[in-house]
Amino acid sequence: MNGKEVSMGEHLETVKKAIVDLELEDIEKIVSSALDAGEEPQAVLDAMCAGMGSVGELFDQGEYFLVDLVLAGEVMKEGLKVLEPLLEAESMGQKGTVVLFTVKGDVHDIGKNLVGTMLSTSGFKVVDLGVDVPKEKVVDAVREHSAQAIGMSVLLTSMVDSISDVVSALSAAGLRDGVKIAIGGACTTQQLADKMGVDALGRDAVEAVRIFESLCGS
Amino acid sequence: MTEPSHVEKPLYLEGWCCLLGSRTERVLAALELREPDRVPTMDVMEEYANIYKILGRRPIPLGFLFSNKYTGRVIDRLAPLINRSHVMDREMDRFSYDRTAASVKMGYDASWVMHVPIWRFDNSKVGTDIYGRYYDVVFDREGNIGTPMYRGGLIKSPADWDAWDKRDLLRFPARTNVAFSRIIKDFGNDIFVMAGFLYGLFENSWQPLGFERFAVAVHKEKEFISRIIKFYEDHFCMMLEAWADAGVPGAIYTDDMAYRSGPMISPRMMRELYTDSLSRITETAHRLGMKIVAHSCGNVYALLEWLAECGFDGVHALEPTAGIELATVKEMVGDRLCLVGNMDITRILVDADREEVFQAVRESIQAAGKGGGYILAPTNSHPDISVERLYWMLEAVEEYGYYPLSA
Repeated sequence: MNGKEVSMGEHLETVKKAIVDLELEDIEKIVSSALDAGEEPQAVLDAMCAGMGSVGELFDQGEYFLVDLVLAGEVMKEGLKVLEPLLEAESMGQKGTVVLFTVKGDVHDIGKNLVGTMLSTSGFKVVDLGVDVPKEKVVDAVREHSAQAIGMSVLLTSMVDSISDVVSALSAAGLRDGVKIAIGGACTTQQLADKMGVDALGRDAVEAVRIFESLCGS
Repeated sequence: MTEPSHVEKPLYLEGWCCLLGSRTERVLAALELREPDRVPTMDVMEEYANIYKILGRRPIPLGFLFSNKYTGRVIDRLAPLINRSHVMDREMDRFSYDRTAASVKMGYDASWVMHVPIWRFDNSKVGTDIYGRYYDVVFDREGNIGTPMYRGGLIKSPADWDAWDKRDLLRFPARTNVAFSRIIKDFGNDIFVMAGFLYGLFENSWQPLGFERFAVAVHKEKEFISRIIKFYEDHFCMMLEAWADAGVPGAIYTDDMAYRSGPMISPRMMRELYTDSLSRITETAHRLGMKIVAHSCGNVYALLEWLAECGFDGVHALEPTAGIELATVKEMVGDRLCLVGNMDITRILVDADREEVFQAVRESIQAAGKGGGYILAPTNSHPDISVERLYWMLEAVEEYGYYPLSA
């Protein structure tokens, strides 16, 4: 290898750094370069996920903020456009399947979308049901995808009853014992989580990854 | 929880208010960090149900008209005509007037009067506003129309911004001048009016784009964002001129810059993008003889020093559920900013018992009232807020809020 060639490992470092540095315009080129250099798609994905992990650490340290997390998610999406056609279906989602949604009556989705991005880049399979989701649709999704966990986003105080509606619906369907439930959103508190009989409360998207890893036993 | 359809103001609150100093002087003293005769109170009421409960009247059944299967279809067909004729704008003018009347009736010292003739409807279910957002039409539990629920933005590029029809934005100052002239004429001697409108520079630079698009633009297309900020800086200054001309003594700059975990963008980026504009806005307010308070929900600790540097007279919301402790804020910026708010709207003003409401008021006054510089108020408006608990809150201020404060 002469001095001008980039090593295989350096390509992966460049991929990781592009995520951390929020290189939206260059990520596709960087990912393509790594693949062209002979890197395995899974290795490139792992490097991107490591980058998202570093982004999460920077958020925890107060260096990055919500807008940076969202941009990192956009960078990931652009990189995955190149990568996904080359990946085995099983390589995404080894840590478990999580159903995400905003509860019936609420349409806020920034936090939910961010959690979805962080989870999918951390090795979870994410089934995003969208916003204003009725409890029946949640039950169907948990059953269809054999989900290990669900994440409910609630921003509006007036919609908190929807949390207990979902919990009750899962119990009635005989699914509650097999699925862990986490809630998040501006109006959610530990007191509310305890009252609603859910398993966890998340403060932000970075914490959500740790929570679901714990809930799914990853 | 059900409340009676009409809640009477306790006699205890009648009369005392005017004996011991005018409301204007009380509020100004607090905003100027002097000790007034009593901790002032400010209302934050934007819910139809509560306002008309206080006034003892039924509101125009807008919610029914929009949600009913038959009238909804009429609205679907007539939406363009509704928008062109500004019918909803006139309803918003009237609503601003009525909510001020409700505040006066309750005995508040100050009233945050939002004037929002900004909604346009695609049909009975979805709409847009004059800034470029799109919404779902929503209703409260009693079927009244509520603040529409934000879904996303329509302005995705500089070309979209250039093409956006800004005529209603440019007409807004004139409209708000007329609305507030009437409010000040009828209520200006009874309550300290703090005028407000939706939205501030930060929200107007991200919501019409959508947060994902904004996240890209704020890093990679700063010139685009700066153009939008500059437009709304000029717009806000025009609104201040309109309010001042109407005789309004105060303004609330409404701009949610934080959420529960902290600011949505880094304080460094906030400073870089918004400082000059906010400084010009506060200078304009002061030049016009007005006070100006910044409102932001969320955990605003990292922004407090910056807001003081930008020239605001006070900061509102100070949400306990976002981790804000009044005593800490007082220590950080209490020598430069009047603290406004802190009364919890998730439980204390919703379903706490009377003793808990009194306790919460007492604790807030003890934490922030020493030496003046505190105005007690709910952190926000919400349909679940109980009118009865608002009256308890006001009674508690009468009990604990007179200076010198008890230890």
